[in-house]
Amino acid sequence: MLRLFKKERMWRTGDLKPRYDVVIVGAGVHGLATAYYLGSRHGIRSVALLEKGYLGSGNSGRNTAIIRSNYRTPEGIPFYQASVKLYEELSRELGWNMLFSQCGHLTLAHTDSAVNGLRVRAENNQVLGVDSRMIFRDEIRRLVPAMDLSNRPRFPVLAALYHPPGGIIRHDAVVWGYARACDRMDIDIHTFTEVTGMRVEKGKVRSVLTNRGEVAAGSVVNATAGWASIVSKMARLPLQIVSHPLQACVTEPLKPFLDKVIVSATLHVYVNQTDKGELVIGAEIDPYQSYSMKGTLPTLEQMATYTLELFPQLHGLRVLRQWAGVCDMTPDFAPIIGVAPEVENFYMDVGWGTYGFKTAPIAGKCVAELIATGKTPNLIAPFSPARFTTGQLVGEKAAAAVST
Amino acid sequence: MSFLLRCPHCGDRSVYEFRFGGEVKQRPAPDAPEAAWVDYTYTKANVAGVQKEWWYHRSGCRQWMIAARNTITNEVLETLFPER
Repeated sequence: MLRLFKKERMWRTGDLKPRYDVVIVGAGVHGLATAYYLGSRHGIRSVALLEKGYLGSGNSGRNTAIIRSNYRTPEGIPFYQASVKLYEELSRELGWNMLFSQCGHLTLAHTDSAVNGLRVRAENNQVLGVDSRMIFRDEIRRLVPAMDLSNRPRFPVLAALYHPPGGIIRHDAVVWGYARACDRMDIDIHTFTEVTGMRVEKGKVRSVLTNRGEVAAGSVVNATAGWASIVSKMARLPLQIVSHPLQACVTEPLKPFLDKVIVSATLHVYVNQTDKGELVIGAEIDPYQSYSMKGTLPTLEQMATYTLELFPQLHGLRVLRQWAGVCDMTPDFAPIIGVAPEVENFYMDVGWGTYGFKTAPIAGKCVAELIATGKTPNLIAPFSPARFTTGQLVGEKAAAAVST
Repeated sequence: MSFLLRCPHCGDRSVYEFRFGGEVKQRPAPDAPEAAWVDYTYTKANVAGVQKEWWYHRSGCRQWMIAARNTITNEVLETLFPER
């Protein structure tokens, strides 16, 4: 019992080795998951993770920790569903409680066209085995009694897509759990190690240059978010990404009154109450490209206004903090995963827009399989970088925080 | 306020009066190879630093302008109407 209270070192720090089989740029949840599955499923343990800040300092610690699979496209749904399944087992697999609460997830519709959109999603979800269905005001009232379902708001709630397995996880715990598991396989995690360049010769990345020296690499993975274009440019590969900030805020804690995740694309807002009682509120991506991670007043006003449309009783509630993360938006709201033919050992796991956190386990598992076997798993085949040339874009319009 | 843009016609205005139009690129010739058009359509420099970009003053004079903006700090260095 006393062991529970003993300090435990989750991961070691150490010097850079001169060479690794796989060097992963970015030790966020995607990079860590890739390293973990390389080590645990494929026995590749000469792996280094290079992180420019502290662990979880990027979007792994900035997202709103929502997990769901009720997407819209036949390419997206099975992928996100596989990720939910991995998250369900993750605490047990890593021996680390991630406080995954599958409390249920509601996507609201306030217009007829939005209702039609949700119907398409419900049908696609059910065909592909995802627990997801349309519900209307009577059932919404039972599930979320605190929400204003009257005709008072300018856009009254008409219906919702109900996704019972959707929910919330502790995002820092996911990072720490993976990091601990990687460390136990002797995978090296180097924080405060910024990648500054890459040495590319004859269509291969030979080594990665960092502020702590040069590291030779068998393969290199770009698992960054927010900086994916910059890291890819080091390997001379331009991307199809535009980076936009996405802001969120957290309020002072309240007694528990909301045990579902509420999302409204019409109102550009999503809300959930944490176990501590705080409300976590997310906005739409900022309407202009930027790498700035400062919160802005117009977005805070927008989050407050639209949250009050759903929960007018929250009037006067104070905001504790507001922050932003940089989202790498692709033209079709789907990620870019795979190898570009120009640089054969440079793997991309980028373009994660507003949906990266919830896919980390399956993306890491698929990228690890791709690196270890050289074969592209079926789940990630639609997200190949070649799709822009062949015109086979995915069009995942059920992505969060985008209403275009 | 997040930041201001100086419209060459209307003066300093909130960025929320404008529509962001993306980075300035050279449009390929109509008969350019397909690769050039794929590149023009999808590939982005996504500069971290000063970039030239399109903005449309939709709540003002309804004209398109070009701004030089630092995408890390959001500082706007210069705005001008494109030459016709």
